[in-house]
Amino acid sequence: MSTTTTKVPLERKVLSENDRLAAELRAEFARHGVRCLNLIGSPGSGKTALLERTLGAFDPAMRVAVLTGDIQTDADARRLARYGFPARQITTAGACHLDARMVTKALEGWDLARLDLLFIENVGNLVCPTSYDLGEAAKVVLLSVPEGEEKPLKYPGIFFKSKLMVLTKIDLLPYVPFRPEDAIANARAIQPGIEIVQVSSTTGEGLEKWMEWVRRPGPPRT
Amino acid sequence: MHELGIANSILQAVETEMRPHPGARAVRIAVTVGALSGIDRDSLEFCFGALTKGTPFESLALDVKEAASDELELTCLEVEETTP
Repeated sequence: MSTTTTKVPLERKVLSENDRLAAELRAEFARHGVRCLNLIGSPGSGKTALLERTLGAFDPAMRVAVLTGDIQTDADARRLARYGFPARQITTAGACHLDARMVTKALEGWDLARLDLLFIENVGNLVCPTSYDLGEAAKVVLLSVPEGEEKPLKYPGIFFKSKLMVLTKIDLLPYVPFRPEDAIANARAIQPGIEIVQVSSTTGEGLEKWMEWVRRPGPPRT
Repeated sequence: MHELGIANSILQAVETEMRPHPGARAVRIAVTVGALSGIDRDSLEFCFGALTKGTPFESLALDVKEAASDELELTCLEVEETTP
């Protein structure tokens, strides 16, 4: 009787199954020229409020839709559906993030050919959503003023992977000890190329810049 | 925070890899965990141990290599085969 030990090289991502589904989603988005943005931020950072403002600013003819993820309730989808654009809730029943399979399933029955822009509002969390590619054109990280300037240093992963940081609730700047320049320096220490916009969904300040970023062209149709 | 899910994904990958080796034993699975992956090493090891306890994978060692990147990769699986 003899024992042999074999080393099987794997060299692939732990989440390769998620990445495979995300690649399929990305190809579908490209086929229809849909720009997909994955919004990630802490609970209460203002993701839904920003989306409300955003949808409210669009012409009714705008071809936009929203998927919104939460652990429980369809409260956000109901909030967002008021603007007249398709909005669907994904309830994860405990999972702390959305994955590509959930997005694929949630998109069933939607004709991507009729969309130019898709927002995915992730579960409020700065950690777990970072690991899961959803086929998006860009991850967008929200950092609200009351959370403090150190968030990019404390949760570097998401700031490293996001194309844009949205500093939200800037109307609160007079009331809290928060220095935007420090938050920006911290984000750029993690990722020098990250773009930054500063907004208040309450007063509307800074929203033009955000809208400009959102309206950038989607992937060239394949 | 989602280390349990990651540990489960690692275990599923091992199960898939072991299918062509019936009767063999998975000894060691090597993974690279980047500092920017959002995965905590201790927590991953704890979850992996909790998942494998009392299963045929109880003796499977999780070998974590840390990196500075955002990598989260399976690098190598060590399989032991006993031939009579």
